[in-house]
Amino acid sequence: MIRLDAPLMVSWGLVLGFGLVMVASASVAMEAPFLARHGIYLAMGLMGFLFMLCVPLKVWNRTYMMALLGALTLCGLVLVPGVTEEIKGARRWIDLGSFTLQPAEIAKAAMIVYWAGFLARRDEALRESPLPALLPLVFFAALVALLILQRDFGNVVVLSAVLGAMLFLAGLRLRYFGLLVLAAFGALAGLIWMEPYRVERLVSFSDPWASAFDSGYQLTHSLIAFGRGEVFGLGLGEGIQKLWYLPEAHHDFIFAVIAEELGLAGALALMALLGLIVARILHTARTALGAGDKFAGYLCYGVALLLGVQTLINVGVATGSLPTKGLTMPFISYGGNSLIVCAALVGLVGRAQLERDSR
Amino acid sequence: MKVWRHHAVLCLFIAGCAALAARVVYLALLDKEFLQDQGDARSVREVVIPSRRGVIYDRLDEPLAISTPVVAVWSDPSKRKLSRADINRLAPLLGRDAEQLADHLVRHANKAFVYLKRRLSWTAAERVRALGIEGLHFSEEYRRYYPGAETAAHVVGVTNIDDRGLEGVELAFDDLLSGEHGRKVVLKDRLGATIRDLEYIAVPRLGQDVALSIDLRLQYFAYRELKDAVAGHRAASGSIVILDARTGEILALVNSPSYNPNESLELGFAGMRNRAVTDNYEPGSTIKPFAVLAALETGEYQPDTVVNTAPGYWAVRRKLIEDPVNYGELTLAGIVRKSSQVGISKVALALPERAVFEVLQRAGVGDFVGSGLPGEAIGTFDDSGLRSEVVRATLAYGYGLSVSPLQLAQAYLPIANDGVRLPLSVVKLSQPPQGERVFAAAMTRQLLSMMEGVTERTGTAPDAQVPGYRVAGKTGTARVVVSDGYTDQRHVALFAGVVPLTDPQIVMVVVINQPSGPKISGGAVAAPIFARVAERALRLLGVAPDAQHLIAAVEGRRS
Repeated sequence: MIRLDAPLMVSWGLVLGFGLVMVASASVAMEAPFLARHGIYLAMGLMGFLFMLCVPLKVWNRTYMMALLGALTLCGLVLVPGVTEEIKGARRWIDLGSFTLQPAEIAKAAMIVYWAGFLARRDEALRESPLPALLPLVFFAALVALLILQRDFGNVVVLSAVLGAMLFLAGLRLRYFGLLVLAAFGALAGLIWMEPYRVERLVSFSDPWASAFDSGYQLTHSLIAFGRGEVFGLGLGEGIQKLWYLPEAHHDFIFAVIAEELGLAGALALMALLGLIVARILHTARTALGAGDKFAGYLCYGVALLLGVQTLINVGVATGSLPTKGLTMPFISYGGNSLIVCAALVGLVGRAQLERDSR
Repeated sequence: MKVWRHHAVLCLFIAGCAALAARVVYLALLDKEFLQDQGDARSVREVVIPSRRGVIYDRLDEPLAISTPVVAVWSDPSKRKLSRADINRLAPLLGRDAEQLADHLVRHANKAFVYLKRRLSWTAAERVRALGIEGLHFSEEYRRYYPGAETAAHVVGVTNIDDRGLEGVELAFDDLLSGEHGRKVVLKDRLGATIRDLEYIAVPRLGQDVALSIDLRLQYFAYRELKDAVAGHRAASGSIVILDARTGEILALVNSPSYNPNESLELGFAGMRNRAVTDNYEPGSTIKPFAVLAALETGEYQPDTVVNTAPGYWAVRRKLIEDPVNYGELTLAGIVRKSSQVGISKVALALPERAVFEVLQRAGVGDFVGSGLPGEAIGTFDDSGLRSEVVRATLAYGYGLSVSPLQLAQAYLPIANDGVRLPLSVVKLSQPPQGERVFAAAMTRQLLSMMEGVTERTGTAPDAQVPGYRVAGKTGTARVVVSDGYTDQRHVALFAGVVPLTDPQIVMVVVINQPSGPKISGGAVAAPIFARVAERALRLLGVAPDAQHLIAAVEGRRS
């Protein structure tokens, strides 16, 4: 019997609709037609979802090395002068006329496909020795270098966490996993120390009120939004932090707008829905692995981890629990790349479910 | 794959969610007061609600000064800079030069409040709003509109750009007219636009209206006649004051040159001076009736008492007092009619030393008028030289003292009002004020009759005649005092009149300063203006004619 996981699809649908409403509310004061664009991206995302639903997973399993190449090429392309424009001191976007491509978002999905393909082939060897992991780690280091050159620190953290967790799930021995985590934290500290602006963000994160009109500005207004929202919020559309106080209200800080307008209740409900989505994908992954379908299993783990980690970091940043990073909230934040890629990833999960049930 | 690894990841994820959920709960419930205070500190602001300034009306409730709501357009360059394209679109609608506006904004680039245009009309402001330029703010304010324009400018005065009185009644009654601004607490977005009102701290108290004693119709044609006359006689300036003889209310007070208070003005502009109130002139022969009154009060003089003025000049000490021709023997009434210097000097010197001075003093010369208009001049009038015969003689024909046109009108009022002196008022009175008797009614009646002779064919001012009414008045032609004494070149032409004689309703003083045409005398310059203004004023006020020949004619037609 062919069917998709109902709790996943229902909660995903709810989250998508919710995102549309909140983008509408958060961008109400802005001149650009963000709502219309978000609607178009949503439609494109659903097309991506359906496309992924139709393509057999074995196509991706066979071409997993192409995914790696594609990710590295795209991220390298961004750095070629003339291809990209610098926006807010960062080179992350390729202008395609009406659409701006953000290679890092696509690279994230591609890397998950690559890692799933790799683990599907080498997980048993990995349990014996950590050496097979060296090759993907070297490739990942290359990608990290490209991302750091784009000053895209947030996605480095997300992808590192996803890769670490996937290696852990594949059965990497704990002592090697421990070493890996230590090495990762060391590299992280080194990267932070390298760039003064990252140190500054770390400092302002620890006490945003000390620099409330400077580097802590965004964060303080995000926190104020939570305080003003209380339990049930001021009501949809009634928030004021989005009225120029929060510069990224419809984007990275949309969770703050939700908390101000819909309160604790709205914020926790959204977190519960996103948590349910992640949990259902984790469940799909586990069933697939259990049935011996390794590529589908690792792929779903990768998707669940990516969505989960990104959600946690986004909420963590908005609530001042983590240092500020430019990361979107999956399915909610305005932004075509993130929305379309995330929808396509859900499509991959759906395909895994379809193939699972049809056996 | 070992199942525990799956569970470990799941648990870590759930733990992360739980920790963040706890953080959200903490922020929304436990830290909310601090966070809300911080939020209020950034977005809650107290703003002023402008209060409307009171309306100034004339005595017939015609508005003389009204506040109409207008709009001030401002921006906050420190938060949001206007683009050059926006400035180019904006400037013509604001009536400003784009270059200049851009310069202005660049110079104040770090300021949080820069006016782009004040006192913009609502319709113009709507057009600016329609441009949809972000970063423009509109605040309501009031601008003063003066329907009387230059006609009533000196009485009504003018306010400054912040709606405070600067001149005239606007200044004198500023506290009453101003009212009090209200205050309210509003929620603002980061760019300073008001999102909504939260709370009223104080509602604005509207300014109170003020009704003046002025009659805008009289004011209007008095101003028009005066303006024509000042231009026609190529005079430096001129003033007319019209009083209600029964109440002391100022019915009209005009000066030329004047100014249009609806236009933006430079302070200190000559036209702004309310000369009728602030400038002193030597009154000349308009003082003679008071000397005659002093003579009547002694009981030794009657209107038909004869004084010999031959041979037309008289030396007092080393001062030669001259008449233009030898009038020979003149009655007291004749002295008034012909305005004989020799005659009045002889009468004055025959009186007790202080007699003329005290009559003038009782009439209010030298007193602060207290009309309510700012900047009243007191003039010069003192008794220090009365022992000198020259001083006494010249005082009787109006030299050696100075008065403002308003003071002169005030002094003539008791003559018109049966000897009762009234305080002058620029505010409309609900009932006549308490007066003070300073002369016997019989005396002032006699005096008025003598003063009628001035306007008869043989008097000095036949041009002051008003058809249908009997006019009592007195001309004056004084020489202007300059730094080194009197000059023969420059004169002041005056006429002070009371009409109608049998039941005086109005007192009018006309002063033309330095006429430089062929005519310079009070009778030739000031008297015709008096006649034209009085004729229309009496008709407008509905005063019954009292001239015998006219009454006879009307009755003859009836029968």
